[in-house]
Amino acid sequence: MKRNTIVIGITLLILATFAWAGWANWMYRKQAAARALASASNAELIPAAPGDVPAGGASLTGKPAPNFTLEDLSGNKVSLSSYKGKPLLINFWATWCGPCKIETPWLIDLQNEYGPKGLQIIGISTEGDDLKPDDKEGWAHDKAEIAKFVKREHMQYPVLINGDSLAAEYGGLDAMPTSVYVDKEGKVVAMQLGISSKEDMEAHIRKAMGEGQ
Amino acid sequence: MIATKILARKLFTGTLLMAAAATGASSQEDSLTSSPRQTVLKPQAVEYLYPEQVTVPAGKPTPVSLHFRIRENLHINSHTPRAEYLIPTVFSLPESSDVKLANATYPTGTDFTLPADPDQKLSVYTGDFAIQAKLVSTAGNHLVEAKLRYQACDQTQCLPPKTITVPIDVIGK
Repeated sequence: MKRNTIVIGITLLILATFAWAGWANWMYRKQAAARALASASNAELIPAAPGDVPAGGASLTGKPAPNFTLEDLSGNKVSLSSYKGKPLLINFWATWCGPCKIETPWLIDLQNEYGPKGLQIIGISTEGDDLKPDDKEGWAHDKAEIAKFVKREHMQYPVLINGDSLAAEYGGLDAMPTSVYVDKEGKVVAMQLGISSKEDMEAHIRKAMGEGQ
Repeated sequence: MIATKILARKLFTGTLLMAAAATGASSQEDSLTSSPRQTVLKPQAVEYLYPEQVTVPAGKPTPVSLHFRIRENLHINSHTPRAEYLIPTVFSLPESSDVKLANATYPTGTDFTLPADPDQKLSVYTGDFAIQAKLVSTAGNHLVEAKLRYQACDQTQCLPPKTITVPIDVIGK
């Protein structure tokens, strides 16, 4: 009888321990979830290493370049499909982005060198300010800043605006610059996040043009 | 007697089974929580450190040192970047607040060059930095949602400009 009482006592003790452990575990998870939620509300995406795919999205390499229609600085609508059959370098950039400014002269040189062979570079300004369509003042300010940059840097290739609207299709566009290289068939052959070198860009362009593979 | 014995055995066995089940469930959940997340949400580039609360004489401009931390391997433009196109770091208070910003004194930026353009010197903040904000508060307890606007980059790429909330409990006495 005494032994059984001890066994029941131990059993109840174990049960109590597990009940306490379960409660503590539940509380811990509840707090962790609250912390994660608070942290997520203040989060931003950390850029991947240069040459990597954007942190927030999958690589587009090997897939068809998503089509788009955006406006240029004059308000003309320009679609990716209008460049069908051409190798392309789609360069997402921003006026506040130092590395973008550094690579702009490289892009101009590359357009001059490979343009006669069929390459088309398209610059897409991606200011990251998520302007609403009816924010006339915001858009006017953005356009003025972009136009100033384009003029100052002598960008002769087409420049489109509102790249932010393509974030979902183009892998997140979490950081600038992001370059997407597209071959004549409209397939993405390389994606570059961040600045590397003019030589790297040239190698990707040659790949898009079907040279030196 | 026998019934008690059986009850004790059943209870003990049941407890062990429950324990095993609980342990199994717990380890499975642990493996789920410790597995890499699908999302890549990370802490923001700049984090406000302290103070959470300050007490200032009501109506008198009082300097308060506000401390921030920039994530490793990132930098933000100083308040006075060297190029016009770069976005400066700016601290502000909402205009409607009972606490006004008389002025703000920013630290001097550190020289920084990008590997792709070693000739151009940038003026940036890295690591920890502090802004001296001269606050003027009315009497009372005010939870102020100050703002810090900045634009962060690493050596090869830049994140979009961002404005974070800097919550400070200002007590004017």
